[in-house]
Amino acid sequence: MDLLLIFLSAAIVNNFVLSYFLGICPFIGVSNKLTSAFSMGVATTFVLVLTAVVTWMINNLILLPAGLDYLQYVSFILVIASLVQFVEMFIKKTSQPLYRALGIYLPLITTNCAILGLALFMALRDYSMMESIFFGLGAGTGFTLALVIMAGIREELELADIPKPFRGVPITLITAGLLAMAFMGFSGLI
Amino acid sequence: MNNVTKMLVTLVVIGAISGGLLAKIFEWADPQIKANAQRETERAIFVVHPEGKKQEKVTGIPDELYKVMDVKGNLIGYAIQIKGNGFQGVIKMMMGVSPDLKKITGLTVLDQVETPGLGSEITKESFTDQFKKVDPTPAIVGKKGATETPNDILTITGATISSVAVVKIMNLGIEELRKLKKEGKI
Amino acid sequence: MSKSNSPINDFMNGIWKQNPIFKQVLGTCPTLAVTVSVVNGVAMGLATTFVLLFSSLIISMIKSLIPNQVRIAAYIVVIATFVTIVDIVMKAQFPELSKALGPFIPLIVVNCIILGRAEAFASKNTVVRSGFDALGMGAGFTLALLVIGGIREILGSNKLFGFVVLPDTVEPMLIFILPAGAFLTLGILFGIANNYEQKQKDKIIQKAIAAERSAKLVTVPAAPQTETEEA
Repeated sequence: MDLLLIFLSAAIVNNFVLSYFLGICPFIGVSNKLTSAFSMGVATTFVLVLTAVVTWMINNLILLPAGLDYLQYVSFILVIASLVQFVEMFIKKTSQPLYRALGIYLPLITTNCAILGLALFMALRDYSMMESIFFGLGAGTGFTLALVIMAGIREELELADIPKPFRGVPITLITAGLLAMAFMGFSGLI
Repeated sequence: MNNVTKMLVTLVVIGAISGGLLAKIFEWADPQIKANAQRETERAIFVVHPEGKKQEKVTGIPDELYKVMDVKGNLIGYAIQIKGNGFQGVIKMMMGVSPDLKKITGLTVLDQVETPGLGSEITKESFTDQFKKVDPTPAIVGKKGATETPNDILTITGATISSVAVVKIMNLGIEELRKLKKEGKI
Repeated sequence: MSKSNSPINDFMNGIWKQNPIFKQVLGTCPTLAVTVSVVNGVAMGLATTFVLLFSSLIISMIKSLIPNQVRIAAYIVVIATFVTIVDIVMKAQFPELSKALGPFIPLIVVNCIILGRAEAFASKNTVVRSGFDALGMGAGFTLALLVIGGIREILGSNKLFGFVVLPDTVEPMLIFILPAGAFLTLGILFGIANNYEQKQKDKIIQKAIAAERSAKLVTVPAAPQTETEEA
């Protein structure tokens, strides 16, 4: 039950993008086409879950027992960067179609604050291994959800007559604001 | 090969410098950080026990529980740190109770992520002070509009879920205290 | 783009011409998350500036020593080190502020402004220029956070710098201190900034046209009329 709560909380109620503002850069950058938004979401979710597992182990098996918690940020970000690199190499070797679909997004994921944010929140909240995995899964689902909804809206927006200064980033932000309001309706679910 | 070694050496050197620097700074700052946390806890304890002058952590139990004494060293109650789910996330509070666990002496919210302006009103004294008059036996009840029995407190309009969550967390805390009392640990 | 390479120009560049938020759309995550009040926004801006300045200095100092393939990893370690320093010092000296900014201090590590400036500027320029560039970018970022924080604090809680500035009769618009309000505020400010930019550009173009016109006036007197018709 708790696991489900963590998942729902990260995916919907406290959506990573719309209420924690994590992963805004790709949210604005890659949300103009539905297909690429979905691919980006899936790639990010994959890295999020992997990060959850690896950083949990590093934090709880190495850093905390040794009293080195001040090295958390340095080691987390290094782990994430190498993890992304590794995933990229692995996909390239094993599945060419998948690499063509996700390849260009992978390097972008390193600087996606959702990933480091996830690792930090996990550490802050003392999640167990299982909880961390569900947290990662929920965060990824929430990210994908926000990205896909946004992409759907933006595809329609291209046909709309928006005042010139508001085209591009500004209207995306305002739309995100309205989406965030809609997502507020979910609070109280947990 | 030479290149790879150079890469490795560079990273190791940078990593070592960074680690060493951080260790030094942490060494300098750690006592202060601990003192800050200590001061914060103490402040909360004396908010929920205004007459308290001394406090002592109860060891050997999983809870963060403090015995609170007055000037003469007489036990005037306990302060316990309690937490649970609110509307949007975890609410962490310090609750003060009398030694016989029959009276709440005070409540203060340590940490919360409720909606600003609505749920976050639970941190205001107009809400937390209500608990000073309330009877926690058998349990506290959150009511809308008007209180009927000595067990009742008024929930905040527009923040019913947050208020009820606070009540629920407090009831669980009192139960925990009763259990500890029964086991003779406090 | 500035033509001159003087430090002053490097500094001024970040404040408006290449403002990290309004022009480069970098570092939006902390911008949106911490600007519920001016104090939080400015604290975040200063913390970021500190990290930006020192990592730019260090990176431009050691740039020739780092093999190209591992440069990003090396930059990240440098940045993360300074972020940890800021975090530890804040926890020790300003516990209240550190609590308010929460996990957004460590998230400076992945603030694209810092890695972006390291890669685009500090790794190619001298230490002095990198320093001024970092200060300018930091100042631009802090100013933007100050403005956004100010608007959200006044509208959302009737306060500025924590002091009540609007009377009680004005119902605070809560939405502005909620996440949704952050998006709306930044979106609208962004639109205004774009609009201003467009007007400036139009002015320059009009000046150019006018200059051209007066030049033509000398040679072909009939030209201005046709031009206005076309416009």
